[in-house]
Amino acid sequence: MTEATLFTIVFGLYILSAFFYLGFAFTKKAGAARIASVLAWIGLALHTAALIVRTVESGHAPFTNMYESLSFLSWASVLAFVLVDRKFRIPKIGPYLMLVVVGLVALASSPLMPKDATPLVPALQSYWLWLHVSVTLLGEAFFAVAFITSIMYLAAKTPEKKAEMDSVSYRCVAVGFPLFTLGGLVFGMVWAYKAWGTYWSWDPKEVWSLITWFVFALYLHTRIVMGWKGKRSAIIALLGFLAALFTYFGVNYLLAGLHSYA
Amino acid sequence: MKAIIRFFSSVKLAIVLLIILAAASILGTLIPQGRGLEEYAARYGQMAGLFVKLQLTGLYHSVWYLAVLGLFALNILVCTLIRLGPKWRRSTRPDLGFEAKGVGAMKIRDKVRRAGAAAEGLPEIRRAFAAARYKVRTETRDGRTSLLARKRIWGIFGSDIVHLGLLVIIAGGILSGLTGSRENLSLKEGQTVAVPGAGFDLRLDKFSTEYYPDGSVKDWKSALTVLEAGRPVVERTIEVNHPLQHKGYRFYQSSYGWDWDNPAVLIEVRKKSDPAYLRTVKLRIGERAPLGDGEGTTVGVARFLPDFVLGDGNAPETRSLQPNNPAALVEGFVKEERVFSGWIFANFPDMDQMHKAKDSDLAFTLKSFDAGQFSVVEAAKDKGVALIWLGCILMMAGFGLAFYWPTWEVRAVVEDVQNKTDVTLGGLASKSREAFQAEFEILAASLRRSK
Repeated sequence: MTEATLFTIVFGLYILSAFFYLGFAFTKKAGAARIASVLAWIGLALHTAALIVRTVESGHAPFTNMYESLSFLSWASVLAFVLVDRKFRIPKIGPYLMLVVVGLVALASSPLMPKDATPLVPALQSYWLWLHVSVTLLGEAFFAVAFITSIMYLAAKTPEKKAEMDSVSYRCVAVGFPLFTLGGLVFGMVWAYKAWGTYWSWDPKEVWSLITWFVFALYLHTRIVMGWKGKRSAIIALLGFLAALFTYFGVNYLLAGLHSYA
Repeated sequence: MKAIIRFFSSVKLAIVLLIILAAASILGTLIPQGRGLEEYAARYGQMAGLFVKLQLTGLYHSVWYLAVLGLFALNILVCTLIRLGPKWRRSTRPDLGFEAKGVGAMKIRDKVRRAGAAAEGLPEIRRAFAAARYKVRTETRDGRTSLLARKRIWGIFGSDIVHLGLLVIIAGGILSGLTGSRENLSLKEGQTVAVPGAGFDLRLDKFSTEYYPDGSVKDWKSALTVLEAGRPVVERTIEVNHPLQHKGYRFYQSSYGWDWDNPAVLIEVRKKSDPAYLRTVKLRIGERAPLGDGEGTTVGVARFLPDFVLGDGNAPETRSLQPNNPAALVEGFVKEERVFSGWIFANFPDMDQMHKAKDSDLAFTLKSFDAGQFSVVEAAKDKGVALIWLGCILMMAGFGLAFYWPTWEVRAVVEDVQNKTDVTLGGLASKSREAFQAEFEILAASLRRSK
């Protein structure tokens, strides 16, 4: 099966999963959540296959243009979600998270994104491409889950639900922050040193990942040292995700710089 | 002095500095950095002067941004040092509490009554903790034993190691800023240049460009030789992502270009009236070649432009140094008299409108050109890099300890009560409290079960 066919099927599965999660949100029937979860897992498995097919066909890592990187980010977000759901049994974040995923996949499928696999420009021919991009996007996927739980914290009515969302948000940041630091900043610096001759150039994408890093550092310090939990913590996590989103997406379209590939 | 230390030990200061750094960094991505004065004047008008004065146009190297970074480093240093002493004491010479009340008042707590005397049961209690991989200390005073069992004590130093890593990274950055240098060396094939300040030379043996089947560039490669006192010591081919390292210098494939000053131009000449006539001439600028057309015409190339464009006053000039629209100015002479001249274009072979002094039957095509490429190799020296990598390793190790190596601590007071033993337990976890609570309950249950 071709990558395009697989990707279309995955799109359908994610939509169905989001649909059943929404059904669960309205009816509170556990069966709906179970079906939705199974659909998400099957979608993830086929999405993994699609990424492998893409890699084999193009001969390089499946995140060298916007289409590929959106596909990978949505894959990472589903992965982060199923892992978080397995650990914390928290299907109620499912509807919102799967809607975000469906949005990402829809964006990737839109005609705005050229889907052709183009040969790698010289600067991208390095195994650091794998390490840098995959680890960074996985970190950002955990920020996305923290973003959803933070919004749900702000919208929650009962103290039990608030406590649950607050705790899951923190645990997601505790996974996402080290991954983002390792992939985005550390691996990014190592690769920049190999490719450009300097580990830091104050390129807008570098600066924005540093800003994202500052925001999550702020999150951890206010929370652990000053005991800010709950609302203020949720707002900082939310801002952190928006900064990560801008680093990922906005910088490419609004600011020019060295990271002009994707 | 105390006030200064208190000021720099505050986490509130860290938070304020993080906010300032984030806001200033955002500003620096909104204002293009390091451009020319004209560009700023065009963009910001009257405000341009103010921006330059406030160093907003080179923000990340401005005095004030570096000052905030400096304060931040000082803040991290003081915060870490002040917390380190008590933490170190806690890990090496912990206080053992003898008051059952104090232990029993901890958030996670339990009380176990066991058969037999305390002194007899103590080894078994110790074994129960050791079996769960706790390090146990006990001290007995006046018939009452205080026990402290801990695991993963390094976890409490996680944040300090992250901070140490950050300080090492900042130190590396300062060292890079003070000692680092980057210089572009342009080399034609066969050319040798002295690496500035290095005491050795670099020779380009061969420069090549590789293409994909679709015509896009796959790689640029420069075969380099390092020469010390004229003798070759290292030979290596560098490409993008694969620099050459020699004596503290690194050589990167940075860019390339063409030597447009004296290209060899290949021109095809035809005669409209005679399909059998075909000549190809290869000329450098200023050279002339006879055409053998029976009229004694000679042809020459007066100019060559890689990226032809009509500039001010319709004067031909080149837009860039890339061969996007190569064009040659061809001139024809008969006995030193110029009889025609005109531009011919490699991309537009049909456009050869000659300015003729007399009617000419000749048509010219620019077939190819050979300009000889040069490779741009960046010679970089940076002594701060080793510190950067060391700092990164420390920072990541610190994250591992801080997030995933939780220190767990159980305190117990063991005492005799009417021929039985009372064990008052209290627990403390730096992270993962739920998991700790579960383990604490299992430990308490195992103490209860054993005789």
